[in-house]
Amino acid sequence: MHKDLPIDILNSVEKPERYTGMEFGSIIKTPEETQVSVCLAFPDTYEVGMSYLGFKILYAVLNAAEGIAAERAYAPWMDMEEKMRERKIPLSSMETSRNLSDFSLVGFTLQYELSYSNIINMLDLGNITVLTKDRGEEEPFVMVGGPCVFNCEPLADFIDFAMIGDGEDIIVEVAQAYKKWQQEGKPGGRKGFLNRVVQIQGIYVPSFYTVTYYPDGKIQEVKPNNPLAPKLILKRVVKDLNTVDYPTHPVVPYGTAVHDRIMLELFRGCSRGCRFCNAGIIYRPVRERRKDVLEKLARELVDNTGYDEISLFSLSTADYSCLQELVKDLLDQYKEERIGISLPSLRIDSFSVNLAQEVQTVRKSGLTFAPEAGSQRMRDVINKGVTKEDLMHAVEAAFKNGWSGVKLYFMIGLPGETDEDIVEIVNLAKSVQYKYKQVTGHGGARVTVSVSNFVPKPYTPFQWVGQNSKAEFDRKHMLLKNNINVKNINYQYHDSTTSLIEGVFARGDRRCGKALYLAWQRGARFDGWSEGFSFDRWEKAFEEAGLDMSFYNARVRDKDEVFPWEHVSPGVERSFLWREFEKSQRAELTHDCRRSTCTGCGICQNLDMKIIDWKDSAK
Amino acid sequence: MKLRLQITKESGIRFISHLEYQATLEKAIRRAKLPVAYSQGYNPHMKFSLASALGVGITSDCEFVEIELEEDMELKPAMAQLSKALPMGIHIKNGDMVEKKAPKLMASAAGAEYLILVPCQGNPLDGIHSFNVAEEVIFAKPIPKGRGKTKEIDVKKFIPVVAGKYENNLLELKFSCKITLTGSMKASELLLVLRDQFQVPLVYEAADIRRIALYGLNDLGHKRPLLNTQQ
Repeated sequence: MHKDLPIDILNSVEKPERYTGMEFGSIIKTPEETQVSVCLAFPDTYEVGMSYLGFKILYAVLNAAEGIAAERAYAPWMDMEEKMRERKIPLSSMETSRNLSDFSLVGFTLQYELSYSNIINMLDLGNITVLTKDRGEEEPFVMVGGPCVFNCEPLADFIDFAMIGDGEDIIVEVAQAYKKWQQEGKPGGRKGFLNRVVQIQGIYVPSFYTVTYYPDGKIQEVKPNNPLAPKLILKRVVKDLNTVDYPTHPVVPYGTAVHDRIMLELFRGCSRGCRFCNAGIIYRPVRERRKDVLEKLARELVDNTGYDEISLFSLSTADYSCLQELVKDLLDQYKEERIGISLPSLRIDSFSVNLAQEVQTVRKSGLTFAPEAGSQRMRDVINKGVTKEDLMHAVEAAFKNGWSGVKLYFMIGLPGETDEDIVEIVNLAKSVQYKYKQVTGHGGARVTVSVSNFVPKPYTPFQWVGQNSKAEFDRKHMLLKNNINVKNINYQYHDSTTSLIEGVFARGDRRCGKALYLAWQRGARFDGWSEGFSFDRWEKAFEEAGLDMSFYNARVRDKDEVFPWEHVSPGVERSFLWREFEKSQRAELTHDCRRSTCTGCGICQNLDMKIIDWKDSAK
Repeated sequence: MKLRLQITKESGIRFISHLEYQATLEKAIRRAKLPVAYSQGYNPHMKFSLASALGVGITSDCEFVEIELEEDMELKPAMAQLSKALPMGIHIKNGDMVEKKAPKLMASAAGAEYLILVPCQGNPLDGIHSFNVAEEVIFAKPIPKGRGKTKEIDVKKFIPVVAGKYENNLLELKFSCKITLTGSMKASELLLVLRDQFQVPLVYEAADIRRIALYGLNDLGHKRPLLNTQQ
């Protein structure tokens, strides 16, 4: 437990178990063993943070290194923050209650744009100077990693540097560089250290770049202002996942994580090529682990954690080349030990449904599919590669296997969307209901339609398009609501205003940092939670910063506009993304390159890599 | 065979819930690879139980867990294996191995002893004396999941007497609380009674509550330990 949190505070806050720590598997190094201390800071609650695989990996690789101690910190919920501020208790780590300001390095993961306000708040609660330019010599370096680093410009004012791409090697290199710099007596001060880390491939130091703007606000140029800073920062990649360490001794929480089970990462990357998807580009190419490697890892994880469920984890698990064999082997091997297997996501086909049926011998909990769009035209625009027939086959298999409910995920606000496309969402849901009647002879299927608002993301073919306005999103939600006029279709939707702020920061530039700072000063935190988010607050902050939100989220970009994020790259060619955008306008499909010809995104070539797929070894 | 253990819930993990404590033990039992028995049916569950639920925020030296084993095992290696698999914050203090049909530990628990340290904003000893000499003390005990409904109980039937010491604004309370077939009382509820009915100026939220013993009664009505006793 945080040693500084007294009983009366813990007795008066929600979910005090969040602040406990002391879990099985947590690593506490002595001061003698700790030359470099790294705080892995997750900008959300403990329950969310403990479900994140990335930090499990980094925690393991850092602590495996001699002289480096990695510890964890999470964002205290608002009630706890109030008490901490009242009594001047700084934010500290779970392991040793070390204040954030006493670490050598403090690393945040950027999972989601709406957690940015929590990063600033955690720095402040940890007594770390919020603005990078004012940070003192003795303060920690603030670093970031994770998916959103591919545009971390809105955080440029607050971070010292970013680690781009796969983190397991680069973070250890950074910590070792710190160790050396410290041993030599910290030559050159803060700048001296940054001058060293910037020479590690994959490190981005925002202060080493100058951005100039045209009078209309668009970017003229992003240029290094330090001779050591590279013009283009390419992401780091693990070329073969079979040869890197995997965390087989993870921290096992006292039962409070959102995903409280073994996470077995089957592969990294996804090449299906959905045009809205940022993860589909930034994690390329696909790299599978071998089945025998996975089975060995599963054994160790079961023995070391005591969990009774293994989740087969990846961006699209059903695409794993040896999935059927792997599932069969794991089921056979762990039946006696009463350990179950779960699939986090299903592809829309009967193969996936039958597999779900195989692993799920107990409860018929709901099945979830993501057609993403209602009409075939729209699904072709986004390159989803799924037809109505595919969905009908999948739900037919589900209903035949005894499921009586399905959840369908959709997006609205996609480029080129018409009202007819929206109404097709309802028709698709009704067809699913009708399929149930055909299969079972009676009605009553529970169909949930869950609709989110499209946010254009950097490094996708839709990085040029405008996001819908609040009025447009709200009108479309009403249109859907009014068209769902039958029983047993449950309609769920996301608040449009949070998607709009997400849209601003997803493609924002470093000027947005001012609005972020102002919003934080006005109380922004936990923006991903309805308890924390206030659109009004964000509107005022942007206004005060002299910025127009629609410049970032709603504006259609020119083909050749310089984007704020392009000096940091996952290796994709801009021409590929533009070509994909043009194809989307003609509703033309692009095939998956995983087991077919190269579609020319450029990533394998630029990173000198290849797809690793074990399809042939499966036989 | 049933492995019965006296284990702790230490200060650092006092705020994890009873369910989380239970889930933590379940994982530890798996890690320890004890030959534990499972129930039959579609959703098999591990056959183990805890003697008495402990409130959130309370530490304990005397949690009792009963684990049904499928295969016979010596006590010492079983304890050693589990010991290595427990997280910081839970330790094994004692144990025994009994026949599968031995009565459940819970059934023989007759009372618990508590030690409470709580700051006070004034002398509490008069109030405690008044409590001790009172014939009857009625407390409206909230009914679990009763949505605010309460049931009137006589506190003195569960806690006849409380020993109090007061030093440096800190009150130390020590008492036994009976566990009966019809229920028991929470230690925190006694604090509310003392504060609200006997004007003991204690700071309720800051109370450090520790369960120091859970005991059974022998034929003569005397306290006896729950483990290592003839069944």
